[in-house]
Amino acid sequence: MSERRQIALMLAPYVGGLAGLVVLPALVTFALAFSEYDLVRAPSFAGLENFRELAGDDIFRTALTNSLVFAAIAVPLRLAGALGLALLLHRRFTGVGAYRSASVLPTVIPDIAYGLVFLWLFNPLYGPVNLLLKWQGDSPTTTAWGVQPPQWLTHPNDARAAIIIMSLFTIGEGFVVLLVTRQGLPAELYELAALEDATAWGVFRRVTLPLMAPILLLLFARDTIFSLQWTFVPALIVTEGGPPPYATTYVPLFVYRNAFEYLRYGYAASATLVMFVLTALIVWLQWRIVRRWRKGFSVGG
Amino acid sequence: MSRIVLEGVRRRFGETTALDGVDLEARDGELLVVVGPSGCGKSTLLRCIAGLEAVDEGRVTIGDRDVTNVRPAARNVSMVFQSYALFPHLTVRENIAFGLIVREEPKAEVRARVAEASELVGVEALLERRPYELSGGERQRVALARALVRRPYAYLLDEPLSNLDAGTRVQMRTELKRLQREVGATMIHVTHDQVEALTLGDRIAVLDRGRVRQVGTPEDVYTQPRDRFVAEFLGTPAINILTPEQARPFGEIPAGSVLGVRPEHLRLGDGVPARVELVEVAGSDAYVFLDGGLVARVEAERRPAEGEELSISFAREAAFLFDAETGERLDR
Repeated sequence: MSERRQIALMLAPYVGGLAGLVVLPALVTFALAFSEYDLVRAPSFAGLENFRELAGDDIFRTALTNSLVFAAIAVPLRLAGALGLALLLHRRFTGVGAYRSASVLPTVIPDIAYGLVFLWLFNPLYGPVNLLLKWQGDSPTTTAWGVQPPQWLTHPNDARAAIIIMSLFTIGEGFVVLLVTRQGLPAELYELAALEDATAWGVFRRVTLPLMAPILLLLFARDTIFSLQWTFVPALIVTEGGPPPYATTYVPLFVYRNAFEYLRYGYAASATLVMFVLTALIVWLQWRIVRRWRKGFSVGG
Repeated sequence: MSRIVLEGVRRRFGETTALDGVDLEARDGELLVVVGPSGCGKSTLLRCIAGLEAVDEGRVTIGDRDVTNVRPAARNVSMVFQSYALFPHLTVRENIAFGLIVREEPKAEVRARVAEASELVGVEALLERRPYELSGGERQRVALARALVRRPYAYLLDEPLSNLDAGTRVQMRTELKRLQREVGATMIHVTHDQVEALTLGDRIAVLDRGRVRQVGTPEDVYTQPRDRFVAEFLGTPAINILTPEQARPFGEIPAGSVLGVRPEHLRLGDGVPARVELVEVAGSDAYVFLDGGLVARVEAERRPAEGEELSISFAREAAFLFDAETGERLDR
């Protein structure tokens, strides 16, 4: 067997999977975005009608805003969290293995189980989060500092905050990447900084951050894509897209409801397409900004 | 005054003892070379002086000030690392200025001192480049400039030449010596390369398994080694060691001792018969390997042919007598 054939044969399972599970559905989605289809009647061509409807759809606009606001707040916080943990835990000390495992654990729990845990944590009556907040409160419904604790599942902004808080623990992937990156930085650079009397903040700003920047930027783009999709399970299980008016309906949930509950496959596909184009645009913009920013990196700056 | 004194310095890493009671002094303005085989503790020694490594026992003094428990930055020493330790994201100028910038020196002062230091090592033309655009020798110069710019009490150099190719190494060696003379600062230079130690040092200290075996001028240490380790470590090819049986044809030595004869002290021509097994020409010199395991070093033009039968001798005064057990020199 020639080398080419061997390579082709070894690639076949992956290429087959890619074609069947990604390329084909993507093409179907693209086609459906310009059609009307309800699983019962044959799909019919609708031109740009779906997109016209999306533009005037208040629920879609809310979902899109929710998704973008979520990503804008969650991504920097998630990266900061992963970086903070990586810098805390890159040294060897007793028990560091347990801490590292604990940092990764929430990421490997199935999404549904993770969502159910938070449904319990955020429960207004018996959830540990609010029980803790109400600890030593003046009355059974107020905190020690005299205010009502957040209504995680019933108040729009509190529910949005709840979804963001949920996302801050699934940072294991970024944590592992940044941990390895930090461990790969030469010890001499830090010893030199110690000899030059650099403060902890100075070392972070002038040594660690610039040297880790390429990886951080990669994770930034990666996490943006991830975050725009991650909201689906928590919004479905914990907040069910509410509280009204559609406070935690994000684009993935919007797509899901239209497709599988209202049987509007064409409309859902067009929303997916809008989200895809928007994601690509955001990541492209990030890279452009980032490239300029990296050029400006210098010790004096 | 910027002399550096170590008194009874010990440093252990778990079961292994890296420094086993080191007493050493680098005099004010001197270039002291610490030399020894890998794992002898020489890097640990330097790191203990810099404060990057704590000492378990003993005292470190820099310029008559006890710095044993002082943090690295407050010891006011500069270090040059084997890997150069240049910041890849900074230009040469920023790399050299790093220490001044983190200490928030005024900008004009930084500019002037960077210019001065870069001129001293000849990297003025490279200031706007980044480390990846430089050759090994250029990187080493930048690392030196960064050490110089701070005007510290003392310079600590950890194998600074060992990542360079042979030609650049010899050139940088000369330059390093010139630089040290010019700046007049105390410099401790660590290396495993005995040629580098012998050619560079005002004085050299030979380190073995965490102990200082001998300190002295290169000439002293080479011609009057205190023990067998020092005699065997310095010199190319290594010194010939003769047991009493091997030495007998040349003259009796006491039982329980061995005789050390440097290859350049073996004379070919008269005395004890020997056969030439192999001849290696190393430039102007040739190494003549004889049966019985002896090596002679002669001028290349006067080398014998392989297989030649000849006779050898040496002057007894030129040889060293060591204790066979302890390696201690017996005839000093």
